[in-house]
Amino acid sequence: MVANTTTKLTEPTNLDPNVDVTPEIPDRPDGSEREVVFDVSDLSVYYGAFRAVRDVDISVHRHEITAFIGPSGCGKTTVLRCLNRMNDLIEIARVEGKVTYHGVDLYDREVNPVEVRRRIGMVFQKPNPFPKSIYDNVAYGPKIAGAKGNMDDIVEKALRGAGLWDEVRSRLKASAMSLSGGQQQRLCIARAIATDPEVLLMDEPCSALDPIATARIEDLMQEIKDKYTIVIVTHNMQQAARVSDRTAFFTTEVNPESDTRTGLLVEVDSTDKMFSNPSDERTENYVTGRFG
Amino acid sequence: MEPVEPMRHGFHEELDQLRLQVELMGVRVDENLERTRTVLRTGDVATADAAYACDDEIDAMNVSLTERCYLLLGRESPVASDLRFVVSVLRIISELERVGDLALRVVKLAPEQPLLASSGDAWDVLLTVGDEAIELYRTALRAWSSQDLGLATELATQCRSLDLYYERLISEIQRLDGPEAVRIAMGMFVAGRALERIADHSAIIGARLRYLITGEAAHLAAEVR
Repeated sequence: MVANTTTKLTEPTNLDPNVDVTPEIPDRPDGSEREVVFDVSDLSVYYGAFRAVRDVDISVHRHEITAFIGPSGCGKTTVLRCLNRMNDLIEIARVEGKVTYHGVDLYDREVNPVEVRRRIGMVFQKPNPFPKSIYDNVAYGPKIAGAKGNMDDIVEKALRGAGLWDEVRSRLKASAMSLSGGQQQRLCIARAIATDPEVLLMDEPCSALDPIATARIEDLMQEIKDKYTIVIVTHNMQQAARVSDRTAFFTTEVNPESDTRTGLLVEVDSTDKMFSNPSDERTENYVTGRFG
Repeated sequence: MEPVEPMRHGFHEELDQLRLQVELMGVRVDENLERTRTVLRTGDVATADAAYACDDEIDAMNVSLTERCYLLLGRESPVASDLRFVVSVLRIISELERVGDLALRVVKLAPEQPLLASSGDAWDVLLTVGDEAIELYRTALRAWSSQDLGLATELATQCRSLDLYYERLISEIQRLDGPEAVRIAMGMFVAGRALERIADHSAIIGARLRYLITGEAAHLAAEVR
C-alpha cells in the first residue's frame, strides 16, 4: 500500500482519559493515605494447642480489593474468618493479637458478633443458598436484622447490586436451587449485600464456577468496589492479579518438633508490585511457580 | 523454607532453553561481526557471501524466538521475573537482529575496501571503532549468558569510550582530500555509523538485562540516541 503523504496525523479522539500511561509515582508505598478499615497486628490463631497462623500484620483499606494468596494450609482463610469473627463459631479456635475495625477492637467483650457479621458480610467457596425462593434468600438477612422500608425494594436493590436482577426478576418465587452455579453464587452475594454491609469477605468465591461465571463475578467485584471494601481469598493467582488492588502472600513453615505447619504472612504490597517485582524471594518463588 | 516440588517444572525448563537459544542467536551475530572484521581488513567477497547467508539464519531465529515468546506469554501467563524474562527476550532478540543488519551494512562495502583502506589515518580509526564495537558486543553477549548485572552495568561506560573514537573518525573523515575523497568519505561514514550503532545496541542489551535482573523501570528508558 502506498502511504498517503498528504494525510495529516491527528491525535486519536477515542482515548480513554481514565487510562493513564505516565509512570506511576509511588507516593504511598505503605498505602497510608487510604482510610484503614481493618488493622491487624500480631495476629495468631490457635486451634486448641495448635498454632495455625502466626504474626500477621496487615491493614485493609476502604474501597479496595485485597487478595490473600498462598499455598494450602497457609492460613489465609483462617485470617479472613478473623475479620468477621467467624472463628468464634469454632469452639477450639482462639485468637491472639489485635484486629481493629475502624479503630474498634473487634474482639472486645462489648462488641456484638452478630452486628459484626451484619456489617462484614461473607461469601463462601461453594454457593450455599437456603432451600427457599430467590426472594426469601435475599430477604432473610434484612428481616432478621429488622430492616425498615419496603422489602421488595430491598430485594430488588440487592439483586441489582449483584448483577442478577435481570435474570431472575420474572421468577423471584422460584427455588434458589433452580439457578445455575454462577447465579447461585451471585445470589449469595446479593444475600450478603442485602443487609447493607460495608465489607465483603469472599472465600474462594469462584472455585466452584466455570470460567464464564468466574468472569461475571470478577466483573461484579470491580463494579461494586466503589461501595464495598472487599477481601478475597483465592487459589487462582491470575484472579488475584486481575481483580485486586493489594495482595497479601501467606506461606507455611514446618514446626520441626511437632511436624505440623503454621501459616504466616510473608509480604503485602500493591498487586502490581507483587506480580511484577515482589520484594520477598518467597513471594517471587510462589507467584512464578518455583515452589508450591 | 523447606524444599518443595516446583509447580511449573516444564515451563521453567522452557525458559532455560529460551535463554540458551538467545545465546545461540547471539553467537551467530558474533560470527557475522567477526566476518565483518575480516571483510574490513581484506575485502574478501567469499566471507561477505557467508555473512549474507548467516544473516538469513539470524532473521529466521528472530522470527521463531518471537513466536516462542508469544506462545509462552499466551500459554503460561508468566509473572514477576518470568514475565520480565520473556519480555526482555523479545526486546533483546530484536536488538540482536538489528546488530546483524548493521554488520551487513559494513559487509556490503567489501568491493570498496581497497579504496577505503587507502585513506590512511581515517582508515586506522575506523578499524579501531570496529574492534571496540565488537568488543562491546561481546561484553553484552557474555553478560547475557552469565546473566551478570556487573557486566551489564559496565556496558554503559564502555559505550561512552567508543563515542570518543567515533568523534575522532568523523573529524578524520572531514579532513579527507583528493579526487576520491567524497567516495571514501561516504563509505567510511556508512561503516563508522553502523559500527557505532552496533555499540549502542549492545549497550541497550545491557540495559534490558539490568531491567530483567533488577526489575527497576529506570532501565526500560535506555534507547538509541
